[in-house]
Amino acid sequence: MVCTEKLPVPPLLGGAIQTYISGILPHVSQFHDVTVLGITDLSLPAQETINGVHYVRVPGKVFEIYRENVVRYVETNKFDLIHIFNRPRLVLPVRQAAPYAKITLSMHNDMFQPEKIDPEEAAAAIAEVSHIVTVSDYVGNVIRSLYPQASPKLRTIYSGVDSKQFLPGNHPKMQKIRNDIRRAHGLENKTVILFAGRLSRNKGVDKLVLALPELAKKFKDLALVIVGSSWFSENNITDYVAYVRALAKRMPVPVVTTGFVAPNEIQNWFAAADLFVCTSQWQEPLARVHYEAMAAGLPIVTTARGGNPEVIFANENGLIVENPENPSDFADKIAQILSDQSLMRGMGEKGRQLAVSMYNWERVASELLEVWEQAEKIKQAAVSEDQAADITIEPLKEDATEQLKPPTPKTNKEKVRSIKNSSASKTSDKTNAELKDNQRTTNREEDIAQQPEIQKNDLPPKQEQTNGHSKPFMITGNQQARNTTGEMYLNRKQTEEKKRAKYFTIASHTNPHR
Amino acid sequence: MKNIVIEPWLIDETTYEFFVPDYIIQLAEEVLKNYDLSVQNMQIVTTKSDKGGAIWKLETKSGPKSLKLLHRRPTRSLFSLGAQEYLAEVRKARVPPIVKTKDGKNYVEAGGKLWFVAEWIEPLTPVAKNLEGAKQLCYALGEFHRLSKGYVPPEQAEMASRLHKWPKNYEKMITKMDWFRNIAKWYAEMPASPPLLEVVDQFEEQARKGMERFRQSSYFEFVKQGTASWGLAHQDYGWSNGQMGANGIWIIDLDGVAFDLPIRDLRKLISGTMADLYKWDATWVREMILAYHEANPITPELYELLMIDLAMPNEFYKNIKEIVYEPEIFLNEQTAQLIQTIVETDQSKWPVLSEIENDWKGVE
Repeated sequence: MVCTEKLPVPPLLGGAIQTYISGILPHVSQFHDVTVLGITDLSLPAQETINGVHYVRVPGKVFEIYRENVVRYVETNKFDLIHIFNRPRLVLPVRQAAPYAKITLSMHNDMFQPEKIDPEEAAAAIAEVSHIVTVSDYVGNVIRSLYPQASPKLRTIYSGVDSKQFLPGNHPKMQKIRNDIRRAHGLENKTVILFAGRLSRNKGVDKLVLALPELAKKFKDLALVIVGSSWFSENNITDYVAYVRALAKRMPVPVVTTGFVAPNEIQNWFAAADLFVCTSQWQEPLARVHYEAMAAGLPIVTTARGGNPEVIFANENGLIVENPENPSDFADKIAQILSDQSLMRGMGEKGRQLAVSMYNWERVASELLEVWEQAEKIKQAAVSEDQAADITIEPLKEDATEQLKPPTPKTNKEKVRSIKNSSASKTSDKTNAELKDNQRTTNREEDIAQQPEIQKNDLPPKQEQTNGHSKPFMITGNQQARNTTGEMYLNRKQTEEKKRAKYFTIASHTNPHR
Repeated sequence: MKNIVIEPWLIDETTYEFFVPDYIIQLAEEVLKNYDLSVQNMQIVTTKSDKGGAIWKLETKSGPKSLKLLHRRPTRSLFSLGAQEYLAEVRKARVPPIVKTKDGKNYVEAGGKLWFVAEWIEPLTPVAKNLEGAKQLCYALGEFHRLSKGYVPPEQAEMASRLHKWPKNYEKMITKMDWFRNIAKWYAEMPASPPLLEVVDQFEEQARKGMERFRQSSYFEFVKQGTASWGLAHQDYGWSNGQMGANGIWIIDLDGVAFDLPIRDLRKLISGTMADLYKWDATWVREMILAYHEANPITPELYELLMIDLAMPNEFYKNIKEIVYEPEIFLNEQTAQLIQTIVETDQSKWPVLSEIENDWKGVE
């Protein structure tokens, strides 16, 4: 897994991508031998192995420097699959350094925009990757509109949150923390509105500050907490921070600003709050804070920008502000929630439920594993064309491996395999050349056979995206999660078993190019 | 000394002018060991304490030199140093040549920043504050832009380009008009707030109209021609960074150079000069543009963009944007007066712009 050049993994300094990687590692590393290539940090060694994951850290910060180091590392080490995070500009250099590896890409924001990547390079990168996973339909749709040929490779995998870290304020583990924070900041008996995010024009917390006077007329004892860095530091105060600070000083509602909060403490502020507001003005890919707020059992007010609305089910876990440039729109939606205690409580509970059942790292990881699995399959097909001799004995090898495996519950995967085996046995007395052809056919059959399985078992299923948000679909997905949490857990278990089976398959194919 | 990282430093009433922390002075001495120079005297001549930059004048046996601590990221500084080297050595432009280290490098890295030594050009005197002087500056600027074409940054350098940022800059200007309005509203009791509230709408309208014209302009075609094809803009050119030397105007302080449309520098020079005159003057603007054109020809399409950029509320924006930092101090009587002056100067701008609008029609 190739990280970006900006921040180190583990996410000592935060970062959505870094958090994502750390979230899925415990799960994906059970099935694959994973190396995480990222940037150096003074407090982290250049190489280490933790829980079976190899971390390799090279100088970065500046893209050009990082790219060079990534290439050098990939050239001298062999990988079956290379997953690149959010840097389409790394795809071609990585491809050159690793001509035989499968490359998959995940996109966390609009890095495919023409000002970020030359259109020619973008098209070539898309051709080189077998799949592109995106954190929201919005991100996928932007890529699709720029490069229609990417369409069949795109898949949305919503991110996740650690709902053991982010807990509601009334959870036994959090009650004291919540009370302490509120006491320390003069927030006792207040209704606390929380914003967490970068202090920037795009993120737009100024609009929330300007909504306060209107809210103060309707509600007593409000307070706003702004969690975000660069508030206090005297050097390097941006004009935006200065602006928000100047406004906050004059508001009829206390505004508490925390400055930078370490990623491992941020959950405390969520537990101390009563309502979460995301104020994105720009086409936000889909801000992580939504998942964190849900896990913390907070009702959410967010904006109709980018992927944000994709995780909000109106009146169930939050409300959407249609005109985020207008502070009154925020005031309206916030007032709607604050004036109905039972709605407010219900939204928080729904959010928590969604975070636990759906937006968890295990689900993210299993979807990504599935993508890798599909990528590997493409490779097998390609190999079967080139190296018939090796391939003909593969089904046997696979079966042999299978027999060494401890018995596992019968899975859909095995059903698929039995179809495959029967088709192989029918052709067992044919020539190598004919076998090759059949192998290809069975591979294709397997692909086809698997499709309904994917749709049946995995949430959210592979999506046919239309322009705009695929909201109607998403609601279906959520209803399923909502009503059948137990069933979903079972499905996930099955998926895991499937992965385990796959693990052996991949192992039997190590270095197919030899 | 190895692990020192240079940080911005605080100056207050207890520190003298051009105060530089001791550790940086020690670093400077270390840096100079990399040069084959016998330094007789070293004097700090300017600082950027809030960013962590400084300039010293060195007296050496081989004449006066400057030593600069560049506050920018090293990879960003590499871009500017490469440009300065290219302009001085390859294009023989009148920019200070870089003095190489003993091992032939352009710079020394110390404290996480780049340092370099360049020739101290003497004598240098500001050009006359009249139309002749303005034209000299414009001609020199055109020459600078023309000679900068063909620059290829070193491989390790960051790509510094503002070419694509024009729309964002304009958008930001429009957004910030709303900031100015909101701050004036919430600090209504301050002396400059009522006059600011009175005029902010009209300047916002100017910016919006400018944005509309900009969207119809050739800018988007210009961008397609590629980043490097336009050459570099200085980004901080004016009456002090262009000065008369023995054989013509020298251009100094190149640390901020970036690929851009060259007329950005020209626009800033014109609108700044008009602000200094307290009045827009068609003759000055025309002559300045012509002087520039002589050294680096302007196409009708580029001229149109220059007109659009001149029509933006640049001076209002530039002077008021400080408001966000300390509104209780900023919005004083003096600022109220300044707003008055800006509005008056702005009134003389529109007849001038409409007078010269069609000058380039049918050229070429």
